[in-house]
Amino acid sequence: MTVLATRGLSRRFGGLVAVDDVSFDVHAGMIKALIGPNGAGKSTLFNLLTGFDRPDAGDISFLGASILGWAPHRVVRAGIARTFQNTQLFDEMTVAENVLVGMHTCLRAGFAEGSLRLPATKASERAAVEQACRLLRLVGADRFADSPGADVPHGVRRLVEIARALASNPKLLLLDEPAAGLNNAETHALATCLRRIQADGTTILIVEHDMGLVMEISDEIIVLDRGRKIAEGPPLLIQKDAAVIEAYLGEVIADA
Amino acid sequence: MSRRLVGTIAPVLAVMVVLALPLVTTDRYLFKVLTFVGLNLIVVAGLALLFGYAGQISLGHAAFFGIGAYTVGYLTADGAVPWLIATLAATVLAALVGFTLALPMLRLKGHYLGMATLGFSEIMTVLFVEARGITGGNDGLRGIPYPVLGPFKIATPGGVYLLVWITAIIVLVLAGNLVRTRPGRALRALHGAELGAQACGIDTGRLRVQVFALSAGLAGLAGALYASSVGYVSPTTFSLEFSVLLVAMIVLGGTGSIAGPVAACVGLTLLPYVDALIPGLPREAVSFLQDWEADIAGIVMILVLLFAPGGVAGLIRSMTRAGDSR
Repeated sequence: MTVLATRGLSRRFGGLVAVDDVSFDVHAGMIKALIGPNGAGKSTLFNLLTGFDRPDAGDISFLGASILGWAPHRVVRAGIARTFQNTQLFDEMTVAENVLVGMHTCLRAGFAEGSLRLPATKASERAAVEQACRLLRLVGADRFADSPGADVPHGVRRLVEIARALASNPKLLLLDEPAAGLNNAETHALATCLRRIQADGTTILIVEHDMGLVMEISDEIIVLDRGRKIAEGPPLLIQKDAAVIEAYLGEVIADA
Repeated sequence: MSRRLVGTIAPVLAVMVVLALPLVTTDRYLFKVLTFVGLNLIVVAGLALLFGYAGQISLGHAAFFGIGAYTVGYLTADGAVPWLIATLAATVLAALVGFTLALPMLRLKGHYLGMATLGFSEIMTVLFVEARGITGGNDGLRGIPYPVLGPFKIATPGGVYLLVWITAIIVLVLAGNLVRTRPGRALRALHGAELGAQACGIDTGRLRVQVFALSAGLAGLAGALYASSVGYVSPTTFSLEFSVLLVAMIVLGGTGSIAGPVAACVGLTLLPYVDALIPGLPREAVSFLQDWEADIAGIVMILVLLFAPGGVAGLIRSMTRAGDSR
């Protein structure tokens, strides 16, 4: 079953074509990785998929229905949650509260119910707090539950964002460089965690620069270069793909 | 654990003292002053949600207070509309004006939002004077009847005091509940990181309009109670000065807190009446405080912003946090 499908997706910023006619499918239950050199358009693509930006052309469908032009909060309600490359935690709130905000779409209480705090609201709040603790344990950030977001180390912020995204109970999870800032042991723990999320039935689309992690966990890889899709397939094929090697080596030379 | 105990017992004790006060004194002046404190608390509760929690500044809340006051004054003056209905109408009207104002301001943040609400406040100040048929122009409205609840006419200063404070306590309890549940967290999230809030499924535009309308409605409610408490309204009451004082209460009390702004509101509202409340105070000190009231408030605000941006609530939080780690 296709969870997410894009057709001819394009986004231009003035003369720069950030995303150029990109089409791909993400099938249910898989971990799909989106890789490419810096500036390839990965984050722009993520913004298009989650309603933070609008494509100039093309269509995005989720579970068979078009979500083109939907506002971010509607996309989340439909079942797509995301993290950010520059983490967007709520610094003034504790880590547990951050995850509770992630449960916004699952909880019901509006202004009236919230201010009356009836027994039903209290009960669902208690359940939500338990769920938040479970999610923090899942990503391995539970010991920071009561720390303010601002006091959490950089690597852990990404883990908290994953827990917060999972809190909306998404069918598709979009992760933007979750391993950036993690050491080897933490990256290994992250891989285990992502597999567990996958086993729970959540499909994952991940942007990542850590090739070890990408090759280890992903079922399929899409390679973007200068906004275009240059390759798509299982990790073993991608590693041998001539266009991919050229794109990456080209970047190395440019850097040097 | 003891912190939690203090957090539960302190408000209960405060409520008991507030409600028991009419049993121990009949001082009309004291009731009048404390009634003003209660009225300001109702506005501050709404402004704490809007500014302290959601981070949306408003320099126009005096105008919403005025809308509530004039609505009740106009509706009840000839005894045409029962007090309770007029008060509800005033609250709803202020909330509706807030709602209508919030829609075009959705894209504005920070200073721009401050400027827009300031502009609204100035427009309303002119309107309060110029719409003579409704507002009585510079003379204002006089002879506004006392609140009547069913068979009870609340016509004594003690009675008005109780009415206002019971309303304020209910509003504060509801606000306190709100910030601990889903909508309250959404407000804080909006303040913290708007992108993050959207990624959590929060409709940030709708939430902003909601909280602005709610806080405008609460200011309207306070204004409505004010009009029937003092019996007259005049346009000078609803000036920008009052709006700034309200914002100062939130800044001084601290963002992300209800208790902090409550404490600041009590302090700042009582400051001009310090001579009557503390009898032994030397005359020079009193006249100094009264002459320099605005300057003192301003200097305190600058000091708070420079050295304790978290306000009273922030200071207490950092003190208890330091205590925890010991």
